[in-house]
Amino acid sequence: MDEKKTYSQAPDATPIALDDARRVKVLSPGMLVFKRFMRNKLAIAGSIIILLMFLFAFPGGWFSPYSESQVFRAYYPQLSDYAAVTINEEYRYTPAPGQQFDNAARAKMILAISGGETAFESAGANFGLVREGEDFYRITGLQTVASGRGIRNRFDLKAAPGITLPEGFQAAFDETIASGAQSFTLAGMAYTVRASKVEAVVSAVADVALASKLVFEMEGGNADSFAFRLAAQRAAQAAGQDPAPFEAAGQRYTARRDGDVVRFYAGQPDEDGALLGVASHFVLKAAIPGAAFSPAFRVAAQNAVAENLTAFVMPGEDDGKDREYVVERKDKQYTIRREEMTYLVSTYESPSWAHPLGTDGNGMDMLVRLMYGGRVSLMIGFVVVIIETLFGVVLGGVAGYFGKWVDNLVMRVVDVFNCIPQYPIYIIMGAIMDAEKVVPIVRIYLLMIAMGVLGWPAIARMVRGQILSLREQEFMTATEATGLSVKRRIFRHLVPNVIPQLIVIATMSLGSVILIEAVLSFLGLGVKFPMASWGSIINAVSNIYVMTNYLFVWIPAGMLILLTVLGFNFIGDGLRDAFDPKMKR
Amino acid sequence: MWKYILKRVLLSAMILFFVALIIYGIMRCIPTSFVENMARQKSSLPGGKTYTEWLAQLNAIYKMDTDIFTGFFSWLGNAFRGEFGDSWHFNVPVMTKFREVIWDSFWLAAISLYLRVIIAIPLGVLSAKKQYSKTDYAVTVFALIGISLPTFFFATILKLVFSVNLGWLDLYGKVGRMYQMLSPSGQFWDVVKHYIMPVITLTIISVGDLMRYTRTNMLEVLNADFIRTARAKGLPERTVINKHAFRNTLIPIVTLLGGTLPSLFGGALITETLFQIPGIGYTSYQAMVGGDIPFTMFYMLFIAVLTLLGTLIADILYAVVDPRVRIS
Repeated sequence: MDEKKTYSQAPDATPIALDDARRVKVLSPGMLVFKRFMRNKLAIAGSIIILLMFLFAFPGGWFSPYSESQVFRAYYPQLSDYAAVTINEEYRYTPAPGQQFDNAARAKMILAISGGETAFESAGANFGLVREGEDFYRITGLQTVASGRGIRNRFDLKAAPGITLPEGFQAAFDETIASGAQSFTLAGMAYTVRASKVEAVVSAVADVALASKLVFEMEGGNADSFAFRLAAQRAAQAAGQDPAPFEAAGQRYTARRDGDVVRFYAGQPDEDGALLGVASHFVLKAAIPGAAFSPAFRVAAQNAVAENLTAFVMPGEDDGKDREYVVERKDKQYTIRREEMTYLVSTYESPSWAHPLGTDGNGMDMLVRLMYGGRVSLMIGFVVVIIETLFGVVLGGVAGYFGKWVDNLVMRVVDVFNCIPQYPIYIIMGAIMDAEKVVPIVRIYLLMIAMGVLGWPAIARMVRGQILSLREQEFMTATEATGLSVKRRIFRHLVPNVIPQLIVIATMSLGSVILIEAVLSFLGLGVKFPMASWGSIINAVSNIYVMTNYLFVWIPAGMLILLTVLGFNFIGDGLRDAFDPKMKR
Repeated sequence: MWKYILKRVLLSAMILFFVALIIYGIMRCIPTSFVENMARQKSSLPGGKTYTEWLAQLNAIYKMDTDIFTGFFSWLGNAFRGEFGDSWHFNVPVMTKFREVIWDSFWLAAISLYLRVIIAIPLGVLSAKKQYSKTDYAVTVFALIGISLPTFFFATILKLVFSVNLGWLDLYGKVGRMYQMLSPSGQFWDVVKHYIMPVITLTIISVGDLMRYTRTNMLEVLNADFIRTARAKGLPERTVINKHAFRNTLIPIVTLLGGTLPSLFGGALITETLFQIPGIGYTSYQAMVGGDIPFTMFYMLFIAVLTLLGTLIADILYAVVDPRVRIS
C-alpha cells in the first residue's frame, strides 16, 4: 500500500494514476487469513472458550483465596459416645461405723446367699444374714461390749473400748449369771453372755454392713453413711406410687420411685425438698473424661435403659436446649450417644458461597482444584505439542528436503513409531511408576516426554509432504541460485511456508493430548495426588456413590475438558478453512 | 500391480521387525525390581506358578539372561510359532486367553463401525452439500463434540442416565446376574443389552472423524471441474450429488475404512475397561496394570501387527481403487 502511495505522490503523476477511490484494496495474506478466521463463528467461539480457560486456569489461581491443596475442616454434628450404662450385678457394701467387712467375709456372704442360709462364719467370726428385700441384705455380727475376770460367778465387767454400757448393765448381767442363762435383754438390745469360771464376755448383736445391688448416686455429707443407706434402702423398697418418707440421723427425707429409679428428696413428702440423688440398678459412666451427669439425666438415662428405649430427649446440661440421646445396646452394655460438634474434614460438601463447586473427597475446594488442574492439563498439552512439533519439523523437514535415502530412512522411522501402540506404553509406564513410587511432579515430566516422543510422526509426515511439493517451486530454485546454505533454505524458506498447516495440526493435537492425559489421569496412571489435573479430578467417579450423589465433583471437570478440547478443535478447524480458501465454494 | 503389493508387504515386514525390536527393547528396559516384585505377587495368586517358575519361564521366552540381540531373535522365533508363555495375571497361556476374549472385541468394534459408517457418511455428504448452512454448522459442531468428548466422561454420563437414573441397563459387564438362568435367546438379548452403552460410546466418540473426512472429500469433489460439467449438462442436482460426486468421494473413504478393518480386532482399550466388557482391550488393560509382562508384550506386538496390516490394506486398496497410484 505504501508503495502505491508513493506512486500517486510522484511529482509527474498523471491522471491515470490510482487515487484512493480507484485503487483496488489489497490485504496482506495474514490479514486475509485473519478476516476469514473472524468470519467463522465456530472459530470465534473456540477462541473465546480457550481464552476463558486460560484466564480460569492461570490468573484464576492467583486470585482465588485458597491454595491448591488446602484442606477445609469444619464442625459437623457426629454421634459420639456420651455415657455408658451397665446393669449392676455386684453387691455393694456399706459397713456400719467402726465395723469391718473384709473381702473374705464378702465372699462367704455371697455363698451363704446363694445357699439360702441365714448365718455364716468367716475367720472365726460369726455373722448373721438378714434379708431386707430383693438383693438387699443386712449383715449382723456379735460385737464384744464388755468383758471381765472374776471368781465364783462374780465378774467385774469392763466396757470394750468405744462403748458405753447402759445403766443397769452390771445388774442385769449378774442376774443372768445367777440364773445360768446365756443371754439377756436390756433397753431393747439383746446381749449374749459367754462365761467360764474365771472369765466372762458379753457380746451384743450389731449391724456390721449392708449389702445391696442398688447403686446410689448421691452428693452430700451423710449420703454414704450406714444409717442413711439403711433407711434409704428400706424406704426405696417401700416407695411405690406414693412417696415414702424416712428419717436418718435426725434428718427427714422422702423417696419417690420413678420407674426403675428411686429419687431421694430432702424433707417430707408434702414439702418441696431438693432432689438429693438417685438410686438404681444401673451404673452410669461418662464416656468423656470429666463429664458429670445431673440427677435428672441419670433418671432419664436409666429409665430409658430399663424400658429398652432406643432414644430419649433431654434438655442439655449446658444450654438447656432439647437434645436427643440415642441408646445402643450391646449385650449387657448400653451406650448413650449424642450428636457432638466434631472437627472434621469437609469431604464432598455441597456447593455454597464459600465453595462454589463444593469440596472434593479430600476436603479441598473444587473450584481451586479445577483451576490448578487446568494449569497442569494445559501445560502438559503445550509442552507435549512443542516437543512433538520440534521433532516433527526437524525430521520432516530433513526428509522432505533431502529426499532419496534420507527421506526413506526418516519415513521408515515414522512408520515404526506409528506402529508402536501408545496407550499400552503409557499404561505400563504408569504401572511401573506406581510400583517405583515416583514423585508426582517427576511423573508429569516423564509423561510429557513420553507423549512428545511418541506423538511426532504425524507432524513429521505432514511437514515432509508439504516440503516435498514446495521444494519443486520456483522460489526454492531461486534460493539455490543465490547460494543460501542448506540450513537457511530449509528453516528460513521452506518451514515458514509450512507454518499454516503446522499451526492447524498443532492446535488439533493440543486437544488430543489433553484428552489422552485426561484418560490416563482418569485411569489413575497419569497425574497423581496432590497434583491435580482435570482427568484425575474426574477419577472420583470410579466410586459409584460419588458418581450418583456428588455430580458437582465430576460434571464440571468433564465439561472443562470437553470445552477446552472443543475450543482447540474449533480454532484448528477455523484456521484450516482460513488458510485454505480452496475449500470455499 | 503385484510388484507394488509385494513391495509394500516386504516393507511392512521390515517395519514390523524394527517395531518388534523396539517393543523387545522396552521390555528389557523395565526395571528388574518391578519384574521380580510382580512375579512374586502373581505367584501368591491361587493357581499361580511359583516365583522361580515364573521367572524361569520369562527367561525361557525372552532370554533375559543373554544379550539383547540373541534374546530378541529367540523371542521373535517363539512369537512366530505363537508361543508367548503363560499370562501372569490370568494363569493361562496367553494365546488361550486371547482366543477367549477376541470375539467380544470384534463384535463391539464391528457394530460400532457399522453405525459409524451409516451415520457419518450421509451426514458428511449433507453438510458438504450445504456448506455454511445451519445444517453444516450443526453437523460440524456435533462431529467436533464427538471428537472432543473424553470417553470416560461420556461413558459416565451414559451410566448415570441409563443405569442409575432410569435403571434400564447394567453399569458394568457383558452379562447380567441372571445370565445362567436365561434361555439361549434370553442370553443373547442379555448380552445385546450390555453392549448398548459401549457401542453408543464408541460410535459417538469416533463418528466425528469420519464425518469430517467425508465432508472434506466431498467438498473437494464438488469443487472439481467434472461436477461443473455435470451441472452444465443440466443433470438434476440429485444425480450430480449421488452419482458423480458421491462415487468419487467414496475412493478415499473406502481406503480409510479398509485401513480400519484390522483395528476391529484391536479392542477398544478405554471403552471396554470403562464398561468392563471382557474383550482384548479390557483384558490387556488388566494385564498391563497388573504388571503381567507376557500378556502385555503379546498385546503390543498384536496391535503393531494390526496397525501395519491396516496401512498395508489402505495402501493396496488405494492402488486398486485409484489406478493413478499404481504407476509410481
